[in-house]
Amino acid sequence: MKDSACPNCDSQKSKIDDLDFISALKEKTGKPVIGFLCCFAPPELISAAGAIPYRITGKPGSDNTAADAYLEPYGCSYVRNIMARAAKKDFNALDGLVISHSCDMVQRLYGIWTYYHPFPYSYLFNVPHQITPWSRRFFKRELHFFRESLEKFTGRQVSNKNLVKEINLFNQNRQLVRDIYKMRSVDNPRAGGSEILEILLAGGRLPAPEFEILLREKIRLFAGRKPAKKIKKRILIWGSLIDHPALLKMIEKSGGSVVADDTCIGFRTWENDLPLTTDPYEGLTDHYFNNFLCPRTDRGPGLQKYNYLLDRIREYRVDGVVGYCISFCDPHKFDYPDLRDLLKAQGIPILLIDDNYSFEPAEAIQTRLQAFLEMI
Amino acid sequence: MSESEMSRAKRHLETTRKMKDMLPRFFMRMLERRFNNEPLAWCMVGVPPELLKAFDLLFEWPENFGTMCASRLVAPRFIEVANNDGYSSELCSYVTNTMGYCKLFRETGEAPPESPLPGGMGTPSFLLGSGFICEPRWKWFQSVATRFFDVPVYSSDPLAPPWDVNPHDPRIEDHYLTLLREDLAGQIEFLEKQTGRKLDLDLLRDILTLSHRALTYWRDTLALRKAVPAPMGSTDYFHAIIPQMYLVGDQEAVDFYREMYEEVRDRVDRGIGIVDEEKYRLIWFGLPPWFNMGIFNYLESSGAVFAYESTYNVGDYFEVDLSDPLEALARRTWQRAVKMHDYGAEAMPELCNPAVFGGFAGSSLLDELVDDYSLNGAIMHLTRSCRAVSFGEVHTKNRLAKLGIPSLIFESDMTDPRLWSDAQIKNRLQAFLETLDRIKEETD
Repeated sequence: MKDSACPNCDSQKSKIDDLDFISALKEKTGKPVIGFLCCFAPPELISAAGAIPYRITGKPGSDNTAADAYLEPYGCSYVRNIMARAAKKDFNALDGLVISHSCDMVQRLYGIWTYYHPFPYSYLFNVPHQITPWSRRFFKRELHFFRESLEKFTGRQVSNKNLVKEINLFNQNRQLVRDIYKMRSVDNPRAGGSEILEILLAGGRLPAPEFEILLREKIRLFAGRKPAKKIKKRILIWGSLIDHPALLKMIEKSGGSVVADDTCIGFRTWENDLPLTTDPYEGLTDHYFNNFLCPRTDRGPGLQKYNYLLDRIREYRVDGVVGYCISFCDPHKFDYPDLRDLLKAQGIPILLIDDNYSFEPAEAIQTRLQAFLEMI
Repeated sequence: MSESEMSRAKRHLETTRKMKDMLPRFFMRMLERRFNNEPLAWCMVGVPPELLKAFDLLFEWPENFGTMCASRLVAPRFIEVANNDGYSSELCSYVTNTMGYCKLFRETGEAPPESPLPGGMGTPSFLLGSGFICEPRWKWFQSVATRFFDVPVYSSDPLAPPWDVNPHDPRIEDHYLTLLREDLAGQIEFLEKQTGRKLDLDLLRDILTLSHRALTYWRDTLALRKAVPAPMGSTDYFHAIIPQMYLVGDQEAVDFYREMYEEVRDRVDRGIGIVDEEKYRLIWFGLPPWFNMGIFNYLESSGAVFAYESTYNVGDYFEVDLSDPLEALARRTWQRAVKMHDYGAEAMPELCNPAVFGGFAGSSLLDELVDDYSLNGAIMHLTRSCRAVSFGEVHTKNRLAKLGIPSLIFESDMTDPRLWSDAQIKNRLQAFLETLDRIKEETD
């Protein structure tokens, strides 16, 4: 199997491999680099402990067979891809690994990965599924256990002062990302959805101050551009993790413009500032436990839990929604029928792309997107 | 898949054969109460049945309903309805079975005629979910209440530490036990509100006493399976778990498990096995194919017996101080999770596990089982729609290989017979047994 199966994934080849990138990052900063998956263990804490948080991503369409020695074929193809990359030693330069208990598959990846490929530091950040006063208290206690483990590893105490400093840095970037997102609320955006995702992905590999520089550069670049001449169909992407711009590029190629999203590397991460509370761990709990809108958290029965999405659809004047579900992604697959019916009742078309984290067969996906965009 | 490929199980024990009379009697009692319009709770496994008994609740288990639909080969009908409604075929087939059933129920206002129980699962008054084992289990009730029955839901949400955290550290224990206690209190508050009744702690203690008496017999029965030849089979095992869901806390359950223990004890004493010539002693991993339980008898016809099943093995680590019955329930869950941690079950769900209910993966428990149960092979059922139980089988296979124990992983499903490929699976099973023969010849 070729390393990058999808024609739209070619841009990935130009990126520096994780192994080299992490090694260079370590050399440049003199700090340990800790890889993390999912969005519940705060990277602010990793930074405050004197390490560099590094968002681990997959390579869609790349060969997953190296995972077969450890994982079953029936499982999230993203998780299998990450495990295959781990088996190929792509992440060996990392000093540590932090996995949040987000969904079942990611959580169970932790045990297998650390059993076969132990790191100098690893932590499974446990997260309840229900929003209750006691689960909130658990999450806050878990934050402190996480802090302690980081302190033990880096040898640096996390003072509230340092933590607040990091929160401010990250909040600044959140604001800048939102500024970029806002550029897409106009009729003819100056920035493409795929371009913005590329920036967010790059940011996941950078220390916060460097990401800030990148964001400011891009804002200047976009602001200097002329608005797009042709008004395109405005698309919101909802669904599983998207850590590659291939799907967005396909939408753009089909005549659509991705103006908003509801995905974890996208809006879910950047939508709100982390509240600065007297006890910073209260703010961390609000932000990462209560307010992070991943369907792995139970927000009760009924459709009111999607009100935020309807608001976003209105704010960004969305013409249609493209749903994206990775194979065996239970949290999103459970929600799809309810969301589909809700959007239908609101007159908002939705197309579901079910994918095994390869964006293949690209022609078939492209054809479906084209038909959808012609229809709306 | 054709229906002729599916075969019903032949049970070996008189006790488990008698369940054919016992369970219908129980279901009729429940049905009578349903007709009297008593509130009905749909529950997820992981909700302590003792608590349901203490509230004198009428209850049904959609997961168990799924197994019944599977064994009567009606599950594909319900699953197909759910798939057409947008529920992916990758989702747990117990779930899609329920969702299809519910859709048909809502459309006609009554249980679909294919339902295995008279009146099907009835109309729930509230839903008691559980986050034990996997997330589909609480997503399931979230969806049921969103789409089909607008009734209150409570989903319990226990957690346990990951494999590399020491659960014996008092701070860690407090961290997790606090969650378990508070979650249980939330569950009880919900039940008190729904039933309008206060929990009677004395009654709960009495029920737990009876429940643990039954579990003691069950645990001791399972230990008897170390004997060669195997005194009972998987078909007995998988059927004998049902009273734990419906009858635990009743004297009837104690009597059932005592009789079972005595019968198995007698067979061990007299050296009676379930096959004439026991050639292979195996361990089973994964959920069984409920639509084709005869596959166990098929293997027995080749001299292969299972002495241990990793799934639903709730027979151990339940002994706790019952003086405070609420603390006992929380500690029982914790104790079972800690016990599995002590074995180092690295691929276990981090969700608190009632002993090895959902199956275990990896773990040095394997070393003990291989010796204690004289095992020489493992068969693992990789269920396409249940990753919670089958995830970790490859890892378990790796760990067994280190012990010199060969294993076979075959693919199908627990509910959906359309995923069963009879000839292919039987060929693989036979080839595996031949491999065991070859290994035996080489070592002899």
